[in-house]
Amino acid sequence: MEGLLTAWAAVSLTFFALRVVDGDPVASLLSQGLASPEQVESLRRSLGLDAPLLIQYLRFLRGFLRGDLGISLYTSRPVSIVIAEQLPATIALALTGLSLAIFFGLCLGVTAAWKEHSAAGRLAARVAGLATALPVAFTGVISLLVYRYILQFFPSISIIASRHLLLPATVLGFSSAGAIARVVQAGLVESMRSPYMLAARARGIGRGVRLLWHALRPALPPATSLSALEAAYLFAGTVVTETVFSRPGLGRLLVNSILQGDYPIAQGVVALAALFYTASHIIADILAFLIDPRLRRTS
Amino acid sequence: MKSRLQYLTLITLVFSLIFLSIAACSTGPEETSTLVYGLTLAPSGIDPHLNASSELGIPLRSVYDTLVFLNPDTGKFVPGLADNWTISPDGLTYIFTLRRNVIFHDGTPFNAQAVLANLDRICDPNNHSQKAVFMLGPLEEVEIIDDYTVAIHLSEPYAPLLDSLSDVYLGMASPTAFETWGPAEYQFHQVGTGPYRFVEYIPIDHLTVDRNPDYAWAPSIYHQPQADIENIIFRFYEDSSTRALALESGEIDILGEVPPHDAARLSVDADFTLYPISIPGQPMQFFFNTQLSPTDDVIVRRALIHAVDRSYAVNTVFGVYSVVAHSPFSASAFNLESQDLILDYDPTKAEALLEAAGWTDEDGDGIRSKNNIPLELRIVSPTWGSNPEVTQLIRADWETIGARVILEIAPGFGPLKEAQTQGEYHAIGINFFGTDPDLLRSFFSSNGLYNWTGFTDPEQDQLLLQAAQTSLDPEERLRLYQQFVSDVQEEALLLPIRFYVNLVVASKRVEGLHFSAQGWYPILIDLRITH
Repeated sequence: MEGLLTAWAAVSLTFFALRVVDGDPVASLLSQGLASPEQVESLRRSLGLDAPLLIQYLRFLRGFLRGDLGISLYTSRPVSIVIAEQLPATIALALTGLSLAIFFGLCLGVTAAWKEHSAAGRLAARVAGLATALPVAFTGVISLLVYRYILQFFPSISIIASRHLLLPATVLGFSSAGAIARVVQAGLVESMRSPYMLAARARGIGRGVRLLWHALRPALPPATSLSALEAAYLFAGTVVTETVFSRPGLGRLLVNSILQGDYPIAQGVVALAALFYTASHIIADILAFLIDPRLRRTS
Repeated sequence: MKSRLQYLTLITLVFSLIFLSIAACSTGPEETSTLVYGLTLAPSGIDPHLNASSELGIPLRSVYDTLVFLNPDTGKFVPGLADNWTISPDGLTYIFTLRRNVIFHDGTPFNAQAVLANLDRICDPNNHSQKAVFMLGPLEEVEIIDDYTVAIHLSEPYAPLLDSLSDVYLGMASPTAFETWGPAEYQFHQVGTGPYRFVEYIPIDHLTVDRNPDYAWAPSIYHQPQADIENIIFRFYEDSSTRALALESGEIDILGEVPPHDAARLSVDADFTLYPISIPGQPMQFFFNTQLSPTDDVIVRRALIHAVDRSYAVNTVFGVYSVVAHSPFSASAFNLESQDLILDYDPTKAEALLEAAGWTDEDGDGIRSKNNIPLELRIVSPTWGSNPEVTQLIRADWETIGARVILEIAPGFGPLKEAQTQGEYHAIGINFFGTDPDLLRSFFSSNGLYNWTGFTDPEQDQLLLQAAQTSLDPEERLRLYQQFVSDVQEEALLLPIRFYVNLVVASKRVEGLHFSAQGWYPILIDLRITH
């Protein structure tokens, strides 16, 4: 229910924002200098764009509630089909990106906590900070340059690390890894200072085992919730990543449809993103509940 | 200790296996008859009859043939699917004799019925054609005289008709195919008669065409009778900063709209060739608003043109590949520039003109004013095509001669049109491409959709209409446009910057690259790959 409300708010906001900021879609549609004013008017009428904004909005909402996202202004194709075509590419990128984010995040976080007072730990913490700070647009282009440089010496690498999935997913995953690393590190450092760790140490359990077995478990629930939330941010990150790496997907579909004034598509993608965002919040809660026995006991 | 060693061995083993398998894959036979062509924009729709993107013609110009073709060198029309044609003395009827034994890629025969079905499809209001229908102008009726003769009747003379019929938007598609698939889905199943067949289109990802082995009706502008390269895959590279990288990593063989600094670097690279291709149409330009003070004064408009160092701007933003434009239109058959009316960079003259028009620095603050109204100029720039960079330089030049300049960047066509409708601008940028100067009628006739100068002159309207209707005498038509352009230059209605030059970079292994008269479309049939 809450999810639907969020989706409704996001879609309504998009509906009005696009029209207020970007004006007349028919103007963009016919921006070729050949049509006469009468022809522009008649096209506007036949696309139902001559009705007052509120009427257009109500029509749109009615369709939306029935699961009908409308048709593209440019191609008369159903928006749901246009989106379905691009969805798999974005899901593949986001899932691979998320897996890598969790992997990088855990590695960096654990290293930073384990070697807290040595150069390796400080380096891991710095890298995590850098990962959060650098925008995907920057790391993406840098990774392409590095990739081209490596390619000169290992031409065969193009098969594994091609622009198609692994390279963009790494860039995307890296950008989300920073936040995860921080949470893991903070969680570990905190649990290492708790009295039960002292007890474990007194029983002669080694530092490595204490860290990875005893301390990591209480540090995981917040990291898991964060990862689920990061999934939603990854979705936003795909917009830039797909453009830099010339990959198909929803991100580029969204940007193109906004630039070209194809509003029904833009609204559809935003609605999906809103639903996805809400879903990832719910999943985050469920995961936290499953992982952390303390939550189960209190409820 | 032992376990660590075991791990190490395992890891080494796995990695060497991966690398071995990769090495095995990469030594496979190289596919040389496939070419990868980079597109720079993923269009919202690629049905030439219904959509308007200029990018769609890059692959599809070779999927479709047109009734006539425009020779890029001479600007003359040559036979295509029509063997010959006649224009009635009143300019109202065009009769085309069609070529026989032409078949579409799906086996449908090409004939007069097919021409009628194509034009009907374009004109059907339910199909919402965004460009093709407007290119047909005052089309009244298409009449089938016999199986291979078709007449196009117009309600008034319309000289650009042949030009329209030579463009990919009026390419002849198989009626069987578009009737089967309908307006929304036909774009994924396009069928023409051209040297390449449409294979597959996955939006935002790629479009594939393959060679049509039955092609036997190449127009004279094609150098080869049949295509050489088996498959051509088109991929989309929208981010301009990564285009050169895609070429250098060998992902693609040909790519247009390479940024000038990358083009300069690649032009001296032994692996690449740079093709600077002039695109016919309007230059990058800024229209002066003649309805708003101070640009309602022709002296002020002239001063503002003299004030801008355009060669510096063009060199800075576009590199050495572009030259300054002086006229509002350019195409191979329409060289309209009038040399004696060129307003060159001359800031001293600009200031003298402003003084003469009464704009002086009354209070010594560096800003000119007249009757206590400061010389304030509002310039609206589109966000695309380096317009903002050029606008910055224009602002600096106008500030030098004592104006206060407000710069507004419109983030899309919608906002640009919005700003224009509000009318609060002194200069606004917009330009379109095209091979026929009738395009100017929308911009300069009093009731034109793009009359953004607000300038109205019945004589000018008459001149443009007459030029549009001079169907039989191309030389007379050219003279009328030359007359029109010198009027526009006299009135200083616009500040032209440069004509578009598409910087296309191709790998050295590609030979025979040349382009259609529209500039954007490569003649794919003539491409060859050298070994």
